[in-house]
Amino acid sequence: MAEVHVIGQIMGATGFSESSLFCKWGIHTGAAWKLLSGIREGQTQVDTPQVGDMAYWSHPIDLHFATKGLQGWPRLHLQVWSQDSFGRCQLAGYGFCHVPSSPGTHQLDCPTWRPLGSWREQLARAFVGGGPQLLHGDAIYSGADRYRLHTAAGGTVHLELGLLLRHFERYGVEC
Amino acid sequence: MAAAGPSVFLLMVNGQVESAQFPEYDDLYCKYCFVYGQDWAPTAGLEEGISQITSKSQDVRQALVWNFPIDVTFKSTNPYGWPQIVLSVYGPDVFGNDVVRGYGAVHLPFSPGRHKRTIPMFVPESTSKLQKFTSWFMGRRPEYTDPKVVAQGEGREGENAEAETPKAAQLMPPFSSQ
Repeated sequence: MAEVHVIGQIMGATGFSESSLFCKWGIHTGAAWKLLSGIREGQTQVDTPQVGDMAYWSHPIDLHFATKGLQGWPRLHLQVWSQDSFGRCQLAGYGFCHVPSSPGTHQLDCPTWRPLGSWREQLARAFVGGGPQLLHGDAIYSGADRYRLHTAAGGTVHLELGLLLRHFERYGVEC
Repeated sequence: MAAAGPSVFLLMVNGQVESAQFPEYDDLYCKYCFVYGQDWAPTAGLEEGISQITSKSQDVRQALVWNFPIDVTFKSTNPYGWPQIVLSVYGPDVFGNDVVRGYGAVHLPFSPGRHKRTIPMFVPESTSKLQKFTSWFMGRRPEYTDPKVVAQGEGREGENAEAETPKAAQLMPPFSSQ
């Protein structure tokens, strides 16, 4: 079986109107992929930037996959949330990006979006907080039912991922 | 191509913790250590170190320079658990106590060659205002009992952190494999 190592960090996020952000992340793969070592999902700490506007998480990612096919190449999906001084959490954005497919170190910038509700819900969000969220996380990385959504842009999440591929040439895949 | 047993490869890293930028703090020293998976073992060099205390230069740059050497070689059979270097920076507070100014971690580079990394640092923050004041006053800030926690992904959900500014470490890692 061919093997893929994804080793890197979720560095941080910029461009969000809220400070005190944290990120819940996960990796989704197709049926032919098996996770050999590593944790497939996690949550970063809450970070409040003191200098500048980038919230830094430096959250390590270290995953080792084995696969029998190229379908379902791993996708990293993210949810960025903000936490206020009372400890309440509010959604700041959803985003996803594919794990790169060429070996080496890659800098990735993942844009995010959040669902807008009706004008009443938007007004309530401005004053009281809260706001609509997705019921099922798979709309973040799948295109299937996206046409139902009306969304607004959030900020950008910055990642640095290193990729190591092994035994792909046995299956006729050049990398 | 013969089918071989697990093959061992070496990762050799030479470099330095060059300098830091901390606009608000002075007289800092840093400690480094490595966090790596079970399949990795250090074969040469020092796994931990403590630098000298440095003060900001008097000129316009206000630079905090350590120029602290890092020299280590690891051997492994598996890229999983690729080593990370964990840096912790400490300095005196207004009362003279030694408090933590930042933690940061970064993976060692994967490819041979010269790499310069700037590592953002963060400190854990108390969630209650009273505790923030008490810890400022008593000089006992929230600190990790084991800085290696910074290199792990699990268990970070409960933490609050403030990010300080980046610092630079220069790493030059050649590979050699057998």
